[in-house]
Amino acid sequence: MLEFDGLYKAYGSNQVLEGVSFRVAPGQMFGFCGSNGAGKTTTMRIAMGLARADAGQVRWSGSPVDEAARRRIGYMPEERGLYPKMKVGEQLTYFARLHGMDAAPAARAAETWAERLGLGERRGDKVEKLSLGNQQRVQLAAALVSEPDVLILDEPFSGLDPVGVDALAEALLEQCRRGVPVVFSSHQLDLVERLCDAVGILARGKIVASGTVDELRSSAVGRQLRVVTPDAPAGWAAAVPGVRVVSEQRGDTVLELGPGADDQQVLAAALATGRVTHFAWREPTLVELFRDAVTDTREVAA
Amino acid sequence: MTADVKPHSPAQLVRLVAGREVLTRVRDKGFLIGSAVLIVIIIGLLVFQVAMASGANATKIAVVGGSAPVTEALETQGEVLDTDVDVVEYDDEGAARSAVEDGDVEAALLSPGAPQPELLVETTGGQVDALVQGALQNLAFGQQLADAGVTLQSPEVDVVALDPDADADMEAAVVALVAVFVLYMLLILFGQFVAQGVVEEKSSRVVELLLATMRPWQLLAGKILGLGLLGLAQMLIIAAIGVAGALAFDVVELPGRLIGTVLTVVAWFVLGYAFYASFYAAAASLVSRQEDLGSVLGPASMILVFGFVVAVPAAQDPTGTLATVTSFIPGVSPLVMPVRQAAGAAEWWEVAVSVVLMLIAITVIVRVGGRIYSGALLRTGGRVKLREALQSQG
Repeated sequence: MLEFDGLYKAYGSNQVLEGVSFRVAPGQMFGFCGSNGAGKTTTMRIAMGLARADAGQVRWSGSPVDEAARRRIGYMPEERGLYPKMKVGEQLTYFARLHGMDAAPAARAAETWAERLGLGERRGDKVEKLSLGNQQRVQLAAALVSEPDVLILDEPFSGLDPVGVDALAEALLEQCRRGVPVVFSSHQLDLVERLCDAVGILARGKIVASGTVDELRSSAVGRQLRVVTPDAPAGWAAAVPGVRVVSEQRGDTVLELGPGADDQQVLAAALATGRVTHFAWREPTLVELFRDAVTDTREVAA
Repeated sequence: MTADVKPHSPAQLVRLVAGREVLTRVRDKGFLIGSAVLIVIIIGLLVFQVAMASGANATKIAVVGGSAPVTEALETQGEVLDTDVDVVEYDDEGAARSAVEDGDVEAALLSPGAPQPELLVETTGGQVDALVQGALQNLAFGQQLADAGVTLQSPEVDVVALDPDADADMEAAVVALVAVFVLYMLLILFGQFVAQGVVEEKSSRVVELLLATMRPWQLLAGKILGLGLLGLAQMLIIAAIGVAGALAFDVVELPGRLIGTVLTVVAWFVLGYAFYASFYAAAASLVSRQEDLGSVLGPASMILVFGFVVAVPAAQDPTGTLATVTSFIPGVSPLVMPVRQAAGAAEWWEVAVSVVLMLIAITVIVRVGGRIYSGALLRTGGRVKLREALQSQG
């Protein structure tokens, strides 16, 4: 289990993190979302020892992440960085060795990963000669080449074309299947929704929502139910306890159910009016959840 | 998770970083060409020295119809006049005459055994006239005395030298100066390599990836050690070529002292490199672009240039105040002290004090510089202020 526990960090008077906590299970893909400047990068840099937390700690398998543990973490920084004048193959071998591999296995792993990420023919090229997309692949290969136990990736999808996104997504899913916990931050929420088992939304220094996407939906304030009752008179649902009518248009009603409300009661009331052609929870997208979560804190904070 | 992987010790990480530095430079064409040029310059200096030495002090004399005693007498007289005499036998007068005219020889001596020998020169009044005159006089004198049955018994003069090493001291100081010049060039070159390497890692942001696997000091140590070993290797290669060349061409009088002086300079190179490499690395870590390097390397470069500028007068006046004082200043001492040592002007305790001061300075620079380096490494963008870097702890 990878645990981020109560991280605090201030840069001068700017309090960036105010108790960030979340956990990622082995084999879980964790999407780390948040507005710009919310502190995602700082959180990841603390895990990698590149920034020091004022309080709190990051643990892997129950013990605080130290230098030895960090060498078993594959990391992709937000600011991409490689030696521009070093050849792709040598660079990957070098990073594999820095992460603890011996020379021969490191060279083999570099070859394998270059091949798998479609860089086989560019192994002998200097990094500066590659296109940005290919440099991005080298960056990813550098994070994966040592077969890490944990992956922490800061905006790995930014700057990739759709084919690149698919290739990267496949590579990450494969790591999850190996039992590696994967944490990545992204602004592409549709991607997070599609790939991730769990999501954490960071806003103003705290995790304001976390869990599986389904959990987030069910805990979202004001779950919405869409009911289509062609024959119903206007205001048919108003009498059901705990229900607020959001919109009503020619029998197409959107209802918001409070915490105590029973959807079966709503169904009974609907059936009482005649035909029911549609009765379903309206699933908020992650974008909506994100917007809600971020807005909520802003109100609380204000 | 994989069997291939085991944790590295700090020493292994330092070695990995050092290995990369060496490999990158050794494969760099610019570096190879630069090294070759430096070696060619050294060989050129040697050849120049040899040409000067042999050209200035040898007198070529053609002899027609000479004998072993004549040759011996000419060479003996040459020693008295402090010149090497090179006797060339010619078969006939015509050949000897044209040799003088062509300037192949300075003079031609015809039939030295005859009562009236003849000396052909281009113009009269040169040193060679007196030389030949004296040689033949001595020869005739000895011959006549021997004919008269007189055996010469001249007292052997006991020569006491008050400063027996003066010439050798001067020669050693010159050797030291040449060696210090090489040291100066290599300090600048490898100091720049360290600085450029630091900025390259910062500007390409690869440093963040590196620091996720190691501590800043390990990265710094690996870089400095790797480039330092390369610098030392280059210094030793140049020293070996220089010493071998000097011995082969017989440029120096005392080979033992030459080797001692060169080894002294190599030892000072190690101290000087440790000082300047740490200084340059810390300064370079404050900026993120190669273009900004000049502005931060200034102070260290000035000490280095000052040291070299002082080393030249120090070779001429190794006991002077300037040389004595500067040979104790850390950073300047690696360029001045070897010259004083070579000239025999430094007591052993002076050297010891200078080395200790240098070691203290290196310790301070490594510690403070290491902190600046760690503090500034992850701050990209503009120039990091010194105080910020020292206070920053991630």
